[in-house]
Amino acid sequence: MRLGFANTYDNALQNLYLRQSDLSSQQEKLTSGKNVNRPSDDPTASAVAERALTRISRVDTEQRALGVQRNAITMAESTLADATGLIQDIRDLVVNSGNGGFNATSRATIASQMRGLRDQLFSVANRTDTNGIPLFGGLGSSANPFTDSVAGITFNGTPGQRSSTEVALPSAMDGQAIWMNVPSGNGTFQASLPGTNTGLLSTDAGQVTSPAALTGHSYSVNFTVAAGVTTYDVVDTTTSATIASGQPYVTNQAIAFDGMSFVAHGAPANGDSVQLTPSTASNVFKVIDDAITSIDSSPGGPQLSQAIALALSQVDTSMDRIQSARGQAGDWLNRADKISSTQTGRSIQLEAEKSKAEDLDMVKGISDFSKIQTGYQAALQSYAQVQKLSLFNFIS
Amino acid sequence: MGSILNIGARALVANELALQTAGNNIANVNTPGYSRQSVILQAVPGQFSANGYFGKGVEVATVQRAHSEYLTNQAIISGSVSAADSKRLDQLKQLEDIFQGGSTGLGAAVSDMLNSFSDIVGAPSDLTARSVVLTRADEMAARFRDSSTRMDDLRLGVRNALQDAVIAVNTLAGRIAVTNQEVARAFGTGQSPNDLLDQRDHLITELNKYVQTTSIEATDGTLGIFVGGSQPLVLGKVATPLSISSDEFGDPAKSKLVMQRGTATNVIEEATLGGGSITGLLRFQNSDLIDAKNLLGRMTLAIGTTINDQHKLGLDLSGAPGGDLFRVNALPDGLASDTNTGAATIQVAIQTTPTSGATTMAASNYIINFTGAGVGNITRESDGQITAFAASPIAVDGLSISITGAAAAGDRFLVTPFSDASSTFSTTFSTPRALAIANPVSASAGATNQGTLALDSLVARSVPAPAAITISFTAPGTYTRSDTGATTYTYTPGQAIEYDLLSPGSSGWTLKLKGSALAGDTYTVQPNAFPRLSAGNAEAMMALRDVPMFDGATLTDGYASAMSEIGVRVQSAGFAADVSQSIATNMEKERTSVSGVNLDEEAAKLIQFQQSYQASAKMMQIAQGLFETLSQVLG
Repeated sequence: MRLGFANTYDNALQNLYLRQSDLSSQQEKLTSGKNVNRPSDDPTASAVAERALTRISRVDTEQRALGVQRNAITMAESTLADATGLIQDIRDLVVNSGNGGFNATSRATIASQMRGLRDQLFSVANRTDTNGIPLFGGLGSSANPFTDSVAGITFNGTPGQRSSTEVALPSAMDGQAIWMNVPSGNGTFQASLPGTNTGLLSTDAGQVTSPAALTGHSYSVNFTVAAGVTTYDVVDTTTSATIASGQPYVTNQAIAFDGMSFVAHGAPANGDSVQLTPSTASNVFKVIDDAITSIDSSPGGPQLSQAIALALSQVDTSMDRIQSARGQAGDWLNRADKISSTQTGRSIQLEAEKSKAEDLDMVKGISDFSKIQTGYQAALQSYAQVQKLSLFNFIS
Repeated sequence: MGSILNIGARALVANELALQTAGNNIANVNTPGYSRQSVILQAVPGQFSANGYFGKGVEVATVQRAHSEYLTNQAIISGSVSAADSKRLDQLKQLEDIFQGGSTGLGAAVSDMLNSFSDIVGAPSDLTARSVVLTRADEMAARFRDSSTRMDDLRLGVRNALQDAVIAVNTLAGRIAVTNQEVARAFGTGQSPNDLLDQRDHLITELNKYVQTTSIEATDGTLGIFVGGSQPLVLGKVATPLSISSDEFGDPAKSKLVMQRGTATNVIEEATLGGGSITGLLRFQNSDLIDAKNLLGRMTLAIGTTINDQHKLGLDLSGAPGGDLFRVNALPDGLASDTNTGAATIQVAIQTTPTSGATTMAASNYIINFTGAGVGNITRESDGQITAFAASPIAVDGLSISITGAAAAGDRFLVTPFSDASSTFSTTFSTPRALAIANPVSASAGATNQGTLALDSLVARSVPAPAAITISFTAPGTYTRSDTGATTYTYTPGQAIEYDLLSPGSSGWTLKLKGSALAGDTYTVQPNAFPRLSAGNAEAMMALRDVPMFDGATLTDGYASAMSEIGVRVQSAGFAADVSQSIATNMEKERTSVSGVNLDEEAAKLIQFQQSYQASAKMMQIAQGLFETLSQVLG
């Protein structure tokens, strides 16, 4: 086949251009380190890389948010630890106040110490995280979720707890459940002595012996002392029914009925009684306030013992609430570690996916480059050699 | 003796002409369009004598150009197709630059913007975090605008290129007409005007780089040149000019090639054009660019509308309901065809009831065909799907298209909902306090709840929030609602409890609880009393990231799909351009193997004819010698 002279030059040049552009695009890949520099290089891979990038930035965002949440929960946990210490101190003071050698003045001192601790506890409950968000705001609150007034402490927030998700923790705890949800007495009923009692009778906080038998009624246990023998009657004041009568009283022994029991100490006077009422809602601060009031104002004697027993029982319940919230916070912090490591794993995996989609395999890239380079070199050489060949060179 | 001299002299002339032709070939080796010429030698008929016929030497019959009609046509057509493909590829590559991925791309801007709400969740009242969100939103809007502007620039560039190409076509057509005239004149002489024909072929080759033509030769040697199969661009000595015009709807985004013949305007349909850079440009402008613009426009509208809708469900730092975060243009009215006879006009909006149409839009233009005053069908251009309608408004793909006035049967409208969505996209305010981050509703657990219920999410569906509703659990798996009395509902942990969502336009919310309930547990959903430290709406904004809205792809993945869609186009256009380029190269090689000059061949011919010339001269010398011998004998 004969070849058009001009066309062979054109074609050779065209091929040189092509090889040059191959070389330059391979060079671009090598310098950018990417196999896919624009979507058309590999539309699927570039979409994969783009989606991976979106996921990576989302994981980064979530990790950053988790950092803030973890911070808040860590602060909440340590705040609850502080609260535990304060309540423990208060409890010690309550126990101290029962010291038989103390007079009213000593008790007033103790009460004032307790007031100080109580105020500290109040400020602890209102603590905020680094962003100024209350740690115990529940599902949303004002800047200070707890306010102190003459009527008592109120919770200015929305009670409830956010759940944690696969990638996030709640950043606030339920202040209502932790601080504002302490029932009075032992949680089921409260034993109190009427002010008219004259004997030395006092009781412990009592306990539930059979939850199924509970009635939720109020009771009065009335003591009768006749001829040196002390007996008691139990009257259901809600229904006015007498449940038991003429029972012999032995000090330090349990008096039990309708699923409840309590232990009475000391000798009652004739006509003395113990009133049992169902528990009412109270809160950590009110429990302490009540203890302070009763210790401060108590003249001593059985009324004080009774108050101390009640206060201890209620302070312990408060402590339980706070401890269990601390446990919850600890759980969340564990969870945060797990989320964090899962997310890091995901992030690495996504990076790998992105890199697999769009990054250049350097070894292959360099090998390809030298292949293309060799090809280009050969093309240039052959071009130079072939164009020397002409019949005219041989005509003289 | 005289005849020997004669034969010698003839041979000298013939060989000189042959050498001259070879020289001409060598001279024109690099002339574009030049066809190799060769002299056709023929023996002069012999003279009869008693001893037979005696040859009277050689003469030049004609000078012929090496030319194959078939190969020339093939080379022209394949060159034309290659010009179309490579032009479209060039433009698509520019378009692809607009759809870049990675951290500087549009997709990253969208995802960064929504991710930035996360910082507000940690600190709802922090003005810095709010400013960051606003800056990101502004940045995202700016990238949308920028992409839109770059596409407009591209369109302007294409339009100018089309105008230039049409001017070039008209000039070439004019020159072909003139050449036709000269060819016709030269044909009268009986000899083939080789160089004129080469010139005309070359003009046709050049013309085909712009638009593919077919040619038919007339008896007088002139060529009729036709565009689009049958439209006569050149007939004999007359050229008809082409021009660029808009389509029947006057859509500024589209162009058409038309030919004005007298009073008649003939539209040359794009599908019949075949090849040439005009075809490539038209194809790019009328389909690729429009599709890309629709993809971008749909993203803008869908994202803008969805974010605005969510933003309006929040409360700002002063407790007031939020407004629009982005300025989203109203959708343009339908464009009427210039053949319409009715009085109808078409208005387009995004559907709002029963649910927002922003998540179900298709990136396409629509054509409405009326078969009666209020009936007809609507065609989605992207895939040709036809939907019949009989009433206004027409609900299609999340759009609500309303008809005002009476249409006549046969009226047509073009609806381009996304054509101008991105050019003015921007944020509407710059004060961070106005970001509506707070949730207007809040849920509170009952004070005596015993179960492990925890709040998963609470999403408002209206502002202001409805009055308090209490959900009371009657058993671990059932609850009653304070607004519906004794009716019991089933509770499944993690599943949404919807309030009033079913009656359109009314207020409501969606509550998700996790954990197990015990009888007596309650949850109350009420207007949020503490909006300052609430970031519920920011969480709802972030939840938008996973809302499917681009043919099933989520909001943040939508860009990846759009990007790869453009990528696929560029890639396949690249393949097509490679293939047609290599076909064109091969055809040109075939053609030049017939018509091109080969220098070695010409060198050989030079030697060949030089020797013949020398031999002829020798013959003259011998004739002279013979003459001298004879005169000596006689002398």
